[in-house]
Amino acid sequence: MLQTAPLPDTIADLLGIGGTLGAVVGGLVGAALIGTLMLTMTAVAGPWAKRKITAAFTDRYAVNRVGPAGLLIIAADAVRLLSKELIVPEGVDRPAWDIAPLLLAWSALLGFAVIPMGNGIHLADPEIGLVYVFAVASIASLALVMAGYGSNNKYSMLGGLRAVAQNLAYEIPLVLIAASVVLFSGSLQMSEIVAAQAEPLASVAGVTVPSWYAFVNPFAFALFMIANLMEVGRNPFDIPEAPTEIVAGYQTEYSSVYFVLIYLGEFIHIFLGGAIIATLFLGGPAGPVLPGILWFIAKIWAVFLFTQWARSALPRLRIDQLIQVGWKGMLVLSLANLLLTAVIVGVIA
Amino acid sequence: MSLEEPRPTDVGETADGELDYDALEALLGETAIDREEHVNAPAFVVRPDEVQEALEALREQAGFDYLSCVTAQEYADRYESIYHLKKYDDPTQEVGVVVPTPTDEPVSQTGEPVYRTADWHEREAYDLVGVEYEGHPDLRRILLPETWQGHPLGRDYDPEKPQVVPFREHANPLEEDARVETGEADTMFINVGPHHPATHGVLHVKTVLDGEQIVDVEPDIGYLHRCEEQMCQQGTYRHQIMPYPDRWDYVSAGILNEWAYARAAEDMADIDVPDYAQVIRTMSAELCRIASHMLALGTFCLDVFGDFTATFQYAFRDREVVQNILEDLTGQRLMFNYLRLGGVAWGLPEPREEFFEKTRDFLDDLPEKMKEYHNLVTSNEIFQVRCVDTGELPPAVAKQYGATGPVARGSGVDIDLRRDDPYGYYDELDWDVVTEDGCDNYSRVLVRLREVEESAKIIEQCVDLLAEWPEEERTIQSNVPRTLKPDPDTEIYRGVEAAKGELGIYMRSDGTDKPARFKIRSPCFCNLHTLREMTQGEYIPDLIASLGSLDIVLGEVDR
Amino acid sequence: MIGMLKSMATTMKHALDGEKFTVQYPEETPEVSPRFRGVHKFSQERCIWCRQCEDVCPNDTIQIVTDDKRNGEEYNLHIGQCIYCRLCEEVCPVDAILLTQNFEFTGDTKDDLAYDMEELKNVPWYKDIDPLASREPDRGGWIGEGEGEVDYQ
Repeated sequence: MLQTAPLPDTIADLLGIGGTLGAVVGGLVGAALIGTLMLTMTAVAGPWAKRKITAAFTDRYAVNRVGPAGLLIIAADAVRLLSKELIVPEGVDRPAWDIAPLLLAWSALLGFAVIPMGNGIHLADPEIGLVYVFAVASIASLALVMAGYGSNNKYSMLGGLRAVAQNLAYEIPLVLIAASVVLFSGSLQMSEIVAAQAEPLASVAGVTVPSWYAFVNPFAFALFMIANLMEVGRNPFDIPEAPTEIVAGYQTEYSSVYFVLIYLGEFIHIFLGGAIIATLFLGGPAGPVLPGILWFIAKIWAVFLFTQWARSALPRLRIDQLIQVGWKGMLVLSLANLLLTAVIVGVIA
Repeated sequence: MSLEEPRPTDVGETADGELDYDALEALLGETAIDREEHVNAPAFVVRPDEVQEALEALREQAGFDYLSCVTAQEYADRYESIYHLKKYDDPTQEVGVVVPTPTDEPVSQTGEPVYRTADWHEREAYDLVGVEYEGHPDLRRILLPETWQGHPLGRDYDPEKPQVVPFREHANPLEEDARVETGEADTMFINVGPHHPATHGVLHVKTVLDGEQIVDVEPDIGYLHRCEEQMCQQGTYRHQIMPYPDRWDYVSAGILNEWAYARAAEDMADIDVPDYAQVIRTMSAELCRIASHMLALGTFCLDVFGDFTATFQYAFRDREVVQNILEDLTGQRLMFNYLRLGGVAWGLPEPREEFFEKTRDFLDDLPEKMKEYHNLVTSNEIFQVRCVDTGELPPAVAKQYGATGPVARGSGVDIDLRRDDPYGYYDELDWDVVTEDGCDNYSRVLVRLREVEESAKIIEQCVDLLAEWPEEERTIQSNVPRTLKPDPDTEIYRGVEAAKGELGIYMRSDGTDKPARFKIRSPCFCNLHTLREMTQGEYIPDLIASLGSLDIVLGEVDR
Repeated sequence: MIGMLKSMATTMKHALDGEKFTVQYPEETPEVSPRFRGVHKFSQERCIWCRQCEDVCPNDTIQIVTDDKRNGEEYNLHIGQCIYCRLCEEVCPVDAILLTQNFEFTGDTKDDLAYDMEELKNVPWYKDIDPLASREPDRGGWIGEGEGEVDYQ
C-alpha cells in the first residue's frame, strides 16, 4: 500500500519550507493542483466528452470540426461562454443570486480535499473524512435554493423547491448506505476505508479479488449508485432542472460566467460523486500496473459514463414519485442494508 | 355524464343504416324552417334563437354525438353559421344545421351547452368572421390578438388598414402573480410558453398552479396564424390551393393534408380518380402517417425522458428513411405538393423495381425497429409509471370535445374515417383500426405505435398492387379541365383521416375558379381543446406529457 | 426493473455498434433524388412568354415583363419567396423553366434572392444532373444528345 504523507507535507518538503508557513504554502499549492486537475476534467467533460458520449448513444457525430477530434471546442466554448453578456434580470435578490453559482462550484470542489487519489495525492486525512465530504457536498442544496429563490422567476422557484424536496429525500439514504461501509471498515477516515479494501476477498483462478465493498456488498453499491444519481441530479432524477418541464429550473436566469459556474458546479458534483463511489466501494486508487491516480480518474469517469448512459435511456420521474421512491423505497432499503450489515459484521467480528 | 352511454334509438336512421332526412326534418318540426342540399349531406336551416333546441334534438334523439366543425361565413345579405354534425358510430351519417343571421345584427344562439367543442369553434367564427354567439361562456378572440380591429373574413374588412394597438392595451404578463380562481389564495399563475422547450411550437398555456399541481390551464393559441383559409380562398381550385395543405400540419403529414383538399374538391366538382392513382395516394399517405407518428413518438419521449433521450434520435432516424422514399416519389421531403385533382403529379419513379425494393426494405426493417421502441419506451417501468393513468380523457368527454384520431382511439372511441367513411383504396385492403381503452397518455402512445404497424401493412399491400398493375392501365391522372368552375353555391364538407385525426374541408363555390369560402377543420385544434380536461389536478410534468401525447402541430391549430 | 435494463441495453448497443445516421455535410453531400425540387433554371431561348407560369404561381413569385408586342423583357423570380411547388415547371409547354436539384444557394440580403433572367440562367446544375432528363428519361431533357457536356441552350 502506497501510504505516504499527505500532499501538502510533500510539497512543503520539496520547497524546503518548514513549520506553519510550510503547511500554509503546501496546502495552498496542493489545493491548487487538485483544483486544477478537477477543473480540467470538468472542462474536458462538459463541452467535449458529454457531447461525444451523448452522440454515441444517439448514433450521431458530435463535435469534430474544431481541432483534433473536436477537442479545441473546449477553448472555443470557454471563449464563447465567457464573452456573453451577463444578464441580471430585474428584481433578483442580489447577494443570494450572486453567491449561489459560486457556492455551487465551491461546495463540490471542497469535497475533494479529503479524497485519497493514490500516489500520495491527498490533501488532508481527517478522522471524520467521510462526514466532511457529505457535509460540504450538501451545501450545494443551499446554493440551489438560493439560485431558485433569488432569481425572481417562477420556473427557478419551482426548480429550487424541487431541489430541496429531492435533497431531503436522498441525503438520508445516502448517508445510511455510507454508514454500512463504515461498519465494515470501522473508520470514518478515508485512507482507512481505502486501506480496508486492499485486503484480498477471494482468489478465483489465480486472480485475487480485492475486498472492494462493491464486491463485499453489491446491494449497498447498487443502492448508492442510485442515490448518487439523485444527488447529482441526472436522469431519471434531473427533476430540479427538467428542461422540458420547468425550462431549466433554478438555472433559468443565469447567463455567461454565472452559467459557467453553475454548469461547472454540476459537473464537479458528478465527479465528486464518482470519487466518493470510487473511495467507498471501488477500492479508491487501487488497481494493477497503472499508477493509482490514473485508476482513480478512470473510476471517476466510469461513474460519469454511467450517469450519461442512464440519461440516454431512462425517463424522468415525477417529483411526487421521486419523493415516494426516496422515502418509501430508498430509505427503507438503506435501513435494511444497514441492519443487515450490522448483523453480519457483528457475527463475524 | 356516465361512461357507458347507451346508444339512443336514433330517429331518422333506417334499418340499413341510411339516413332518412324527412324523418329528421319531422323531428326538428317547427325548428327547421328550410332545407338546403349540400354535396355531403342535406342541411336544415334553423332560426338563430333556436340553435340549441335543434342541436339538442339531433344529438339526443337522432344520435348525432359528434360536432365535427362549425363554419361561419358572410354572404352579401346575411351571415351564416353551419354546424356539421356526424355520428361517432357511423361518420357517413351527416347532417348540417345552417343558422342564418342578419348582417346588421349577426347574433346567434351558442351551441356550446350541447357540444363542448363548439366553444372554440364559435370563438374562431366570431374572431374571423364576426358572428356573435349569445350565451357563449367566453366569447373572445381566439386566433387574433384581443386588440384586433375588424373580422378578417368578413366582407367589409379592409386588410390595408393598419392595426394600431396603443401601448396601454398590452397586458403585462408579469403583473399578476397569483390568480385566485379556486378561492384559495396560494395559487400561482405561470405562463408555459409561448417560448418553452416543450410546447411543440409557439403555444402559450396559461397555467394556474397550486404548488406543483395544476388548478387550471387555458391554451392560448394563434401565434402561428398564417391566414391559411384566406390564402386558399385566393387560389384557384385546379392548381394554386394544393401547395398549401402541406403547410398546415407541416411535420411530414403533407400528403394526408393534400388528400383532404383533393377529396373535397373532387367530390365537389365530380372528378374521378383512376384506381392506380388511388393506390399511389394510399401508399404515400400511409408513409406520411408513419413519418408523422414517428415524430410524435420522438417528441413525446423528449417531453417525458428529458432532452438527452436517445429515442428522439432513433425516431428521427427512422423517419428519415420514410422521407427518403417520399422524396423519391414526390420530389420533396416535407412540402410534397404531390396530389393533383384527379390523381397524382407523378407516377412511381423509374426504375420502379428500385423504388419497390427501397420501400420493402423499409417495411422489412420496421418490425425490429418497433421492437426496439417497445424496449426503449413502452416496456420501461419508469415510462409506465409516468404515463399510465395520467392525462386521462374518458370517451364521453373525448366525444364532447370532438376529439378524433389517435387521441380519440386512445380513449377507446372507435372512429377512423379510413374505415368508416372509406376513400382512396382503403376499403379494398386488409388492415385494422387500432383502439386502446386506457384513456391515458400511455394508451395514446401505444395507439400510435400500433398504427405504424397497421400503416406498414397497408403500404405493403399497396406496393404489391402497384408492382403487378398492368402497364397499360397505369393512369395517374384523369382528364380534368384546366380551369375548374364548380356550379355556384355548391357547398361541401369532407373529411379525411389525417395523422392527428379528422381533417375536414368545407368549401363553397360562387361560380368562379376560386372558392368563396374555404374552411379547415383542424384535428389538432379540437384535440388541443381537451387539454384542460386532461390535466385538472395533475402535476406539471403530466401537463407537459399530456400536451405531447396530443401530438399537436401549431401550424395546424392556428392555420 | 427489467424494462429499464432493456432500455439501457438498447442504447448501449447503439453506442457500441458505432453506426451513424447523420451526414458530415459539406464533406459528404447528400444524394438527392432525381425529382428533387431546388432552385430554378430558366431558358430565355425556349421561353415563348406565354405567362402561364406567372399565372399559376400560387404566391406571385414569378414576375414577367413584356413589351407591347409580347416580347419578353424581364423574367424575375424571387427564390426567397418561392415555395418550390413546381407548378411553373408543370404548366410550362416548352420546358423553359425548370427546378434543378440545386439546394445550395445563399444571399446576404433578401434582395440577393430575387433572381433575374441572367442569374436564373446561370444557376448551376447539382452534381451535373439534368433534372428533366432524370425525371422523365423518355423526353430527353435539356441536354444535347451525345455531348456529355451539360449545356442546355
